[in-house]
Amino acid sequence: MLARMRCLLLLVVCALAVNACTPVRAWERGQLARTEMAWDADGLESALNDHIFFSKEASSGGNSAAGGGCGCN
Amino acid sequence: MRPVQPMRSRSLLALSTTALALPGIAGADAPPLQNTLSYKISNYKEDDLSRSEVLFGDLDRYDIDVHQFKLITPVGRNYALQVDANYESLSGASPWFTTQGFDGKPVVNLSGASGIRDRRSEISVGGSYYLENGRIGGNIGYSEEDDYRASYVGINGERHFNNDLTTLAIGLSYSDDAIFPTDAPLFNRVVSADKSSSSVFVSVSQIIDSVSTMQSALSITEQSGFLNDPYKLRDIRPGDKTQIAWSNSYRHFFLNADAALHLNYRYYHDDFGVSSHTFDMAWHQNLGDIFRLVPTLRYYSQSAADFFTNQDNFLAPLTSFQSSDYRLSAFGAVSGGLGLIADRGDWTATLTAERYLANEQYSAYEVKQPSTALVQYNRVSLGIEYSF
Amino acid sequence: MNLSLKRFAFTAMGSTCEMQIYAESRIHAKTVIRDMASEVHRLEKKYSRFRHDSFVTDINLAAGKPMGIRLDSETKSLFDHALSCYEQSAGLFDITAGVLNRIWDFRQARVPSQELIDQARSHVGLHKLKWRQGRLLMPAGMEIDFGGIVKEYAADTAARLGRKLGVRHGLVNLGGDFAVIGPQPGPAPWTVGIINPQAPDSLMATIELLDGGLASSGDYERCFIHEGKRYSHILNPKTGWPCAGLRAVSIAANLCTVAGSMATIAMLQDEAAGIEGLRESGLPHVYMTNAELIGGAGIQV
Repeated sequence: MLARMRCLLLLVVCALAVNACTPVRAWERGQLARTEMAWDADGLESALNDHIFFSKEASSGGNSAAGGGCGCN
Repeated sequence: MRPVQPMRSRSLLALSTTALALPGIAGADAPPLQNTLSYKISNYKEDDLSRSEVLFGDLDRYDIDVHQFKLITPVGRNYALQVDANYESLSGASPWFTTQGFDGKPVVNLSGASGIRDRRSEISVGGSYYLENGRIGGNIGYSEEDDYRASYVGINGERHFNNDLTTLAIGLSYSDDAIFPTDAPLFNRVVSADKSSSSVFVSVSQIIDSVSTMQSALSITEQSGFLNDPYKLRDIRPGDKTQIAWSNSYRHFFLNADAALHLNYRYYHDDFGVSSHTFDMAWHQNLGDIFRLVPTLRYYSQSAADFFTNQDNFLAPLTSFQSSDYRLSAFGAVSGGLGLIADRGDWTATLTAERYLANEQYSAYEVKQPSTALVQYNRVSLGIEYSF
Repeated sequence: MNLSLKRFAFTAMGSTCEMQIYAESRIHAKTVIRDMASEVHRLEKKYSRFRHDSFVTDINLAAGKPMGIRLDSETKSLFDHALSCYEQSAGLFDITAGVLNRIWDFRQARVPSQELIDQARSHVGLHKLKWRQGRLLMPAGMEIDFGGIVKEYAADTAARLGRKLGVRHGLVNLGGDFAVIGPQPGPAPWTVGIINPQAPDSLMATIELLDGGLASSGDYERCFIHEGKRYSHILNPKTGWPCAGLRAVSIAANLCTVAGSMATIAMLQDEAAGIEGLRESGLPHVYMTNAELIGGAGIQV
């Protein structure tokens, strides 16, 4: 578990370091505008999943401030 | 150089309007050009428990139908308005308490012979104002169920740096909730109680190269008030809870495959003692110009709350924290899904199906007391989006 | 803060281009100019009719296909602007009119048969295209060419990029289409000279630009004379014949893209309508008529 977390941390740090080496030119961003590259391509789907997981698991949050609550029992 | 006369020609205005909408001129942050209306209908159904797991009561668990609506509309040149409305209707039963079964192992007792029927409605309105290098927004919402009411408000903002390669976002939100359990006097439940929650988040997004992006976000939430589950026979939790969640996401587009990979990881911890890891991934495979197939996989694992017990102890004093709510037990969950998207330009249709299995054996954390009430469910959704 | 002027010339979109910026260091200037030039090359690569790998070529090859071709938001916005130009010019500025060029041979000064002209004209008409849904549907035999829009758009895009990269004073020049990144230090305007089509060594007028853009449209080649009447090399999509309008137009506006559209429209109309449209815009402009008379407003002749 700890090894896995260390690997992930390394990935995050590497990604930031990579940025310092290959800055992206304005003209190269075509692929990034694709729907399948969006952070949240289907807003309703992620809202639904957040709602379900909030009701069925103990964890919530991470990518935005908390929205509306629910009784969720 | 000043124009000879003020710009009054209609031609000039028409040409200027369309020119200003060109992306190279309007810039990265501009309100959407079109209105978008989305609707999604979903069914969520939990697997029935087996008779050996349930002492008495119904075997069916939750069966929920959800309707979601969203409308996004640009207003003027710099604003956008968003309206969300949800409606869900729920039927089924929920674990009421746990006792020792005939073989000595803990068993679940589900609530009520007739089960629960509940409806939930939610509406929220939000607005965004687009600036040269960023955006600020706010939203306000309200949700209501037969036994629950919540009002919430939030503000958020984001700013681009480094020639739009880096984006920093922050947000604050506050929610004020009230619980008034059904049949309170009949079952000696609390008649009504309040709870409030404040949350802050900060995130950094970074374009790594022409096909990769990453994002890291941290959120801290503080809840206080009545945090117990009022429907459980014995459920006593602290009056406040602090939780922190750190999520990281990565997106990479594979030009040769014409597909995108999504990887997400989240770490969560709260002062009830629950920690969790969530890994999920999705592969967005384009099939020609119109279709996209999206298989997804998720692994979740949480530790138990400090006061979780899989067998209710009705003799313990009311000052000691205790809960047999399976959601506070140590368990792992694996879920897999498949989505099919058809994108025709002005309308997009999405069909998704997902199967979720929670099991104490999937847990990465030590399981001292497994819960017998872990859920397995199927979810199916059909969504449609129209731009006009 | 010690700013000095840096200039950089390169070739793009079939013309000689130049970027002028005031920057503190030569290295910063080079980086910025390189990014701006690359953005121009990106648009050239994407929209050039002459490249087999351009998106415009893909679009033209998709003509007649029942499902059409998906457009990204930039291309869709260009079509929207092309439609605006089409409507504001009563159909004269038409990006589908390129097919007409094939039937005319100006070098030999031969006039094609009316039958040939009519046949070519049946493949012209922006109103025949549909793209509201993000997918372009174009009838078989038709073609589009963004040549009359993309160079000016590239100038505005490069200028905006320059500003985002921190340049406060600069000028983009793509073969005679100008976009101001920021005024000269002071602030003081940039002075742009408009070449006299009749005498290319001398200037017809000078215009001062503090912001916005300047575009020129002109028939600098030898004119085409038929039955005693003088025609330009620009074809009128409604008649299928060359235009007999103004000889050259230069106009300054809030954006080079807008200036370019206004200039092109003025060139496609007959002289009187063209001059009136320019005057009505209230923008600084200069033109030369067929009779080599120079007129305009808001400029120095």
